[in-house]
Amino acid sequence: MSMAAAAPSSPVRRLLATHRGVAVAAAVFLILIAVVDLISAGPLTYFDISFLASGGATSALAAIGQTIVILSGGFDLSAGAVISLVNAVLARSMDPMNMEANVLLWTLVGMGIGMTTGAVNGFFIAVLRLQPIVVTLSTMFIIQGVTLLVMDKPGGFVSPSLGTFYLGDAIPGWLPMPIALIGVVLLAWAWLKNTRLGTAIYAVGSDADAAAAVGVSTVLTRFLVYVIAGGCYGLAGVFISAQTGSGDPLVGNPLLLSMFAAVVVGGTRLGGGRGGPLGSAIGAYVLMIVVNILLVLNVSAYYSTIAEATILILAVLAGSISRTSTLAQQLRVLGTRLGARRAGTLVSQLRQDDQRLAIAKTRKTVEAAAKPSFLTRNAEILRYALPAYVCFIIVILVTQAWLGGAILNPGYWNSLIVLSSFLAILALGQGTVILTGGLDLSVPWTIGLCGILLAGMVKGSDVALIYALPLVLLLACFIGLINGLGIVFLGLSPIVMTLATNGLLQGAALLYSNGTPDGFSSPMLRWFMTGKIWIFTPVVLFMVLFVIFAVTLLGRTAFGRRVYGIGNGIRAAELSGIAVGRTLVFVYMLSALCSGLVGVLLTGFSGQASLGMGDDYLLPSIAVVVVGGALITGGRGHYLGMLGGVLLLTGLQTFLAGTTLPYATRAILFGLVVLGAVVALRDRRN
Amino acid sequence: MTLSSRLKKLALCTALAAGLVATAGSAQAAGKHKIFLSMSFIGNDWQAEAANMVKAMAAHKSLADKVDLQVQVAGPNAQRQIQQINAMVQAGAEAIVIFPISPTALNQVVKNACDKGVKVFAYDAEITEPCAYNISIDQEEAGRVTAEWLVKKLDGKGDIVLVTGVPGTSVDNLRTKAAKEVFAKHPDIKIVGEAVGMWSQAVARTELSKITATRNWDTISGLWMQAGCYTANAMQLEAGKTAEQLLPCAGEGSNGGRIQMLPAGTEVESAAAPYAPIGAPRISYASPPYSGGLALKLAVQALEGKDVPKKTVLPLPVVTNDTVKLCKEGTWQEMKDGCNAFLPSLVSNPGWFASIFSPETPEIGLNAALVGQPEN
Repeated sequence: MSMAAAAPSSPVRRLLATHRGVAVAAAVFLILIAVVDLISAGPLTYFDISFLASGGATSALAAIGQTIVILSGGFDLSAGAVISLVNAVLARSMDPMNMEANVLLWTLVGMGIGMTTGAVNGFFIAVLRLQPIVVTLSTMFIIQGVTLLVMDKPGGFVSPSLGTFYLGDAIPGWLPMPIALIGVVLLAWAWLKNTRLGTAIYAVGSDADAAAAVGVSTVLTRFLVYVIAGGCYGLAGVFISAQTGSGDPLVGNPLLLSMFAAVVVGGTRLGGGRGGPLGSAIGAYVLMIVVNILLVLNVSAYYSTIAEATILILAVLAGSISRTSTLAQQLRVLGTRLGARRAGTLVSQLRQDDQRLAIAKTRKTVEAAAKPSFLTRNAEILRYALPAYVCFIIVILVTQAWLGGAILNPGYWNSLIVLSSFLAILALGQGTVILTGGLDLSVPWTIGLCGILLAGMVKGSDVALIYALPLVLLLACFIGLINGLGIVFLGLSPIVMTLATNGLLQGAALLYSNGTPDGFSSPMLRWFMTGKIWIFTPVVLFMVLFVIFAVTLLGRTAFGRRVYGIGNGIRAAELSGIAVGRTLVFVYMLSALCSGLVGVLLTGFSGQASLGMGDDYLLPSIAVVVVGGALITGGRGHYLGMLGGVLLLTGLQTFLAGTTLPYATRAILFGLVVLGAVVALRDRRN
Repeated sequence: MTLSSRLKKLALCTALAAGLVATAGSAQAAGKHKIFLSMSFIGNDWQAEAANMVKAMAAHKSLADKVDLQVQVAGPNAQRQIQQINAMVQAGAEAIVIFPISPTALNQVVKNACDKGVKVFAYDAEITEPCAYNISIDQEEAGRVTAEWLVKKLDGKGDIVLVTGVPGTSVDNLRTKAAKEVFAKHPDIKIVGEAVGMWSQAVARTELSKITATRNWDTISGLWMQAGCYTANAMQLEAGKTAEQLLPCAGEGSNGGRIQMLPAGTEVESAAAPYAPIGAPRISYASPPYSGGLALKLAVQALEGKDVPKKTVLPLPVVTNDTVKLCKEGTWQEMKDGCNAFLPSLVSNPGWFASIFSPETPEIGLNAALVGQPEN
């Protein structure tokens, strides 16, 4: 009976199950649009819809490209920079006299630029087998530099014919052009998905080794993925040029984080293999319409990031509610545990004494094998950690030759270590998270909130520092706890959870400080960061202890072994008896604690705390870990390698700041050096 | 649509509205001009101060019953601001006051708003679309005046370090270019270091630390900064320089910098080094945060049919050691009499921007900038 009733609905269910992410994103979008329709003054007209359509189109197009990369298991940080570049090139090269520029031609130019940058990314990632996150981070800097060379300030001209075409109607009164454009791109994807390449993209994203084993060319697939994605960013750049009618070299850069949010809201799994661009396009519109919601509800400016973070979490949670979701599993496990406790069969309730069978000792003693040499034992660590140090030494030599006053100048080394201290501390937190295969995006506002709270409590008093410091660090641990619980018990992906936490913390910092943080660091804290003991700043001595602590924590403790175990395979770790959930929660607490500590030190360094003081530390904290030889997917890396990455980046920035090179050239050089450093890290062909 | 579905939707709507805000109902207050403020990111002292002054202006008794102001934040994302302005037009805005994230990217949407009869006022940064009203200082003048001061202070000779703003923005570009043109005219002035300061005291400190890692303070004879003189002075004191040895610094109008300009020994309540009078040789200029408040005032005037010029160039607020003067309370009247620096006991944040006086805006004084309270 029940079988018969269930049978007809099962194809529908199956369809819903496979496209749950898209369905939820679409439902969220429809609910939001209904809310806007109800609350705003008049009914939504075609005109309003057409506005909405063009407002979200750039993000949607870029998110489609990003999704294709993510489906293949990659990651692309250069997307926003490519949009800016296309916008700058178009606005710079169009003839202001020509009001009727050829739409097709310029669209192809834009997409061509995007695909060229994609081909560069693809070459390094697919052919040289470098890690996507660090390749695209380098190309992001390089492209931003090139963009500033093309156009050093907003201006230029984009022919109105582009605007007329892209912002007009495909079918007047029925279909706005932006929707039609996104529709065409999605149709192209639908076709591509059913070709060999489409299958290969999903296969490579699900399991690259398995895909290679059945004869899929992983190199070609990965390469093409970045080229296709580049085309999408190029199209997004063309669209924003049409929409704005001119150029701005910074226009695309802030789109990056919201692009990932759109992908996630749209139901695509970070890490690859599941999801699709349709959901991401809808996700982009969901994020865009939130702007309208906040406006019609007149939500206070301070709450806007909180509202966005909540929507992000809810949308993703809604997409994962099912019997197999992590939350449901965790609840079931909890129920089983409670049952076991009542029945007295929980492991901890059993007899704890040694119950091994006694085995008679054999007489023969085996000759202890000769201990392998230091080099053999640490070959892997050295191979991945050394390139950063080699590059660092080169940078120091160049600094000495170009600027002088480096190698024999104790002041130089002191400054270098003080400036490195922030990233070196973050590297432990972010590095540990990355070793488990996660990512902590809540670093910026954990730093910001902790710094602001500390300054606010201390207000220049050393006595207050005694209680304010532990309180702030405790708060940081609590932030990490929230991250950890969200990831472990709600089953949210680390990127989503920490991105949302970051938004919540930003709101909290704004509410606490009312927009202008007050207070300043106490004399002792300032002395710690800027004073001198003989020729060294006190924090330099602290860093020596910190590095010893970090190396011991990751290399010599059970906690460290668990972290590596989880990174190498979560299933294997579980089966070998590691409390994966508990360890992960601790890992995120460690990361937040490190961020909190950096917030405190930065406050001491600057003398006061400011909003946004942590913004410049997110991408570098990831970059140093990867440049230091860690694998972004987890399981491989050594703290000393990451420290090398920190020294390399700080040394390089110190050198560039000492020169009078224009900013654009510096950005390009910075990207090239980072890229050069990681070329040495590439995996050997199996 | 059936009655029940309407009721359901209504219930949903009230639940959402009640859950998120309490003020949505007041939006339709009769007889008031509906004006929106679209500000940029609020993670920044200047932005927060300017927004406070706009709010204070709207709350002043002369405007309170004429204006219904709603504030929205666009973040650093121009795309978002475009969407926001569209939504504001849809929501029936009569005027929109904007801190434009990009001078060019908003042109189309601003033109579209103008076409619907909405008055668009941009403060501090410019919008190049001709129908928009712009209220800002002359950025080139700011770069030129400060550079000329520094050249004069150094007698046309010396090695200087520049700390610029956010690369790729018009404001930074115009200021830096104008300053460099001045320096180029004096062959003995040599730019030996140039750092990107992002208009932040904290970034200025890291960048200056990098520069001084390879270069001693003694090898530098002057600083030209868009923000960070306060920090630069603090760093020199940390490095063991005395107040008399401080380098001349042309830079921003932060209150910390202004207090440092007061002659050493000036009686200042709750001053603590480095936020204390040390007689630092300075010229202090600023993009004044009152421009947002003034923009709102002009917007109301325009809505009332008065003739408002499309471009209002604000006088560049410049303070040197000769003109710096401490305020006791910070009322508008007191500032009108010439004071331009505020007690640390009133303004605890040294990065706070002190150029808040305009003869055009008697409605807003220190309390407006600090907490959004208008003058009486």
